Amino acid sequence: MALATTSPSSTTPAVPSPAGSVPAVPSAAGTEAPTRRDPRSPNVLGVLLFVVADAMALAALLALYFGIKNGSSRWPPSGVSVGTYIPTVITITAVLSFFSAQWGYFSVRRNDPRNAAVGMALTVIFGLAIANLEWQAFVRAGFSVDDHAYGTLYFLLIGYHMAHVLAATVLLALVAMRALAGHFSASDYEPVRAVTIFWHYSGAVWFAVMTALFLLSRHG
Amino acid sequence: MTTTDTGSEASGPEASAADAADDAPGPTDGAPSPTGAWPGGVDHKVVGKLFLLLALLFLLAGGVLAVVMRSQLAGPDVDLVTDRSYRQLFTLHGVFTVFFFLMPAWVGLATIMVPLQIGAFRLAFPRLQAFALWLTAAAGGLVVAAPFVTRLTTGWALSAPVPEGRRFRGDGYDLLVLGIGLLLVAMVVAAINLIVTVLKFRAPALTLKRVPMFTWSVLVSSSVLILALPVIIAGLLAMTVDRHYSGHVFNGFTGSRGGNPLLWPRLFWFGAYPALWALLLPALGVIAEIVAVFSGRPLVARHRAMAAMAAIGVLSFAGWGSEVPSLERARPVFAVGALLVLLPVASLMMGWVLTVVAARRDRVRRGTEGAGGGSPNPSVLHALGFVSVLAAGLGAGALSALNAGGRLHENYWAVGQQHLLFFGASTIGLVAGLYYWAPKLWGRLLPPRLGALEALALVGGVHLAFLPMLVLGLQDMGVHLSSYPGDDEWQPANLVATGGAFVLGLGALLVVLALVVGAIRGRRAGDDPWGGHTLEWATASPPPPHNFDSMPEIRSEAPLLDLKLAPPPPGPEVTSRTPVGAGAVS
Repeated sequence: MALATTSPSSTTPAVPSPAGSVPAVPSAAGTEAPTRRDPRSPNVLGVLLFVVADAMALAALLALYFGIKNGSSRWPPSGVSVGTYIPTVITITAVLSFFSAQWGYFSVRRNDPRNAAVGMALTVIFGLAIANLEWQAFVRAGFSVDDHAYGTLYFLLIGYHMAHVLAATVLLALVAMRALAGHFSASDYEPVRAVTIFWHYSGAVWFAVMTALFLLSRHG
Repeated sequence: MTTTDTGSEASGPEASAADAADDAPGPTDGAPSPTGAWPGGVDHKVVGKLFLLLALLFLLAGGVLAVVMRSQLAGPDVDLVTDRSYRQLFTLHGVFTVFFFLMPAWVGLATIMVPLQIGAFRLAFPRLQAFALWLTAAAGGLVVAAPFVTRLTTGWALSAPVPEGRRFRGDGYDLLVLGIGLLLVAMVVAAINLIVTVLKFRAPALTLKRVPMFTWSVLVSSSVLILALPVIIAGLLAMTVDRHYSGHVFNGFTGSRGGNPLLWPRLFWFGAYPALWALLLPALGVIAEIVAVFSGRPLVARHRAMAAMAAIGVLSFAGWGSEVPSLERARPVFAVGALLVLLPVASLMMGWVLTVVAARRDRVRRGTEGAGGGSPNPSVLHALGFVSVLAAGLGAGALSALNAGGRLHENYWAVGQQHLLFFGASTIGLVAGLYYWAPKLWGRLLPPRLGALEALALVGGVHLAFLPMLVLGLQDMGVHLSSYPGDDEWQPANLVATGGAFVLGLGALLVVLALVVGAIRGRRAGDDPWGGHTLEWATASPPPPHNFDSMPEIRSEAPLLDLKLAPPPPGPEVTSRTPVGAGAVS
């Protein structure tokens, strides 16, 4: 072992360090650097970094979308009718889920497991509803993935969001069950925070996808 | 001399892996168990070694392929392999060496050394790193299986000439695309883990400005990887939709059913170009450590060196378009980016030279100049070789950037330059790191004489193999040619390059031999055989499962050097407990 150690109550001089090793000195003494703990936990930072990486993948898909769109004389291609009903309902549901997710999160922080479970359960229902609506958007599109580039990117981008929503829904269901079982408290809510961040990110993904596919495309 | 005891709070090997994996860092956290749900356990040192083992296997495989390719090009009209087989060889060679050797190798070394350098007892997410390891192994299996299903001829960039081309058909490509995709996911996961570990698990008083240079380089490199690799992953996802659902992202051309095959190389190089720089960055960190420790003084202008590394990370995103032929008009702009990124690398090298000069001046002042002697350390030999290869790579890179849109991007110059800068320098830096940190990896020293011979073969092989490629570039030899007629002027340089490839192959074999001999029968290393400056040298060789029993006082970026130069005055024993590897400071 490199460092000779003494027990906390020891007052005997330290054992001289053997050749090639380094003597230890107290790490508590003389440290001029701050010892403040960053309020963001490792789990939350990990999720934030994952979100950054995931956002780069989304940006790449959107770059493909706009790269192809800008090179096309007609976008979406003739015969494609982009409706507004389903995306509008999805958007409203996504906004509602933002509030329900926050309701669950703040309830956990207030030591209120019942309200937390209700808020999170509601968010799970919203998540399933969004996935269902996106499935309807696939079924009722009137074109398929292999018809043209718009179709491919339509299925790719909405599918990308659907995968995020389903993943976030599963994670939220898991933390909701843990919340009900009393695993979290006002001082221990890190997983809820991390999952809530991911949920909000999946909502942001929808807004990016919706803007590309619907807002910046002509409507039928 | 006083000591600090972690007492009962010292994380013992008996502490549960579950605690280690799930809880926030704190003084009562347990150390990761050496065994766990994952084969090999979740101890970062074991996981890192398995990453290295996997990477070395792919280095050898990629090296064998390279030797066959170079043998084919040794002379005119050699008929060792057919043109299609040759294309398969360079496809697999690129995939093996870039994706499955360099990436896992650096992740592996960082997985082992970063927690030790920052005084942490584990990674932030030990299980996640084990997951990344086994995902990498699975991805490697898929890629190895791919050529048995379909002959792969697209090149490592999967774009010869465009992904929708005829060459891109066959189930083997699915295995290749899936394998590369899974590997990149594993690398992103591992990079996130390393970043969180550096930001959250540093020892008290080890501020971000004080982290060791290798750790800093890993932080920058990992940041680049999590921004760059997802772009390639997204491209592979779109490619899979094209292939399996007859999609039109890269298929067809804009104007009919849409789709644009020219978007793939743009997407790929947007991710791959910074990723290549990210694989050089840790090598720069290793050499910075070696220069400082073997000079016996901190790096000159260390904070500027840290800023230079960060600048490399940022500027690595500015030159990607220089590798994309279809961006003809924008290429001069990207060429400026490709040129700018070389400047901080050059400034780092200047800092190393100034450090060595300052150390010599210190020795002269103390009257110890000429003392010591003996054979040079293998780490130092590798560092010298690294500098020579890096200098050649920088020169070639600068000329390449100045030749924006010219032939040097299309012919063998590009091969030589990329191999010098990203393969040669990065690999030599990695091997230098293995010699330097062998005491912490295996508790033993790697054999110095074999190391000297291996350094000679490795560095000499890199120069002999890749410098002639620059000559071939000036002679405008095409990149993907599998043979050439006898009346061409290309033969002499090709012959030398082939000889260099064999020498380089010998160097790679000697690396493996040195690692095996050193890890099994090497001389037992002391805890700090080189007079190290940073925290990894404050623990045993090899470190215990919980890494540290106690922590030296951290007053600067070189806490161990501080102790040697100015030991703290004897005073009353400090009886307070110091959480070893506890939470970070900002």
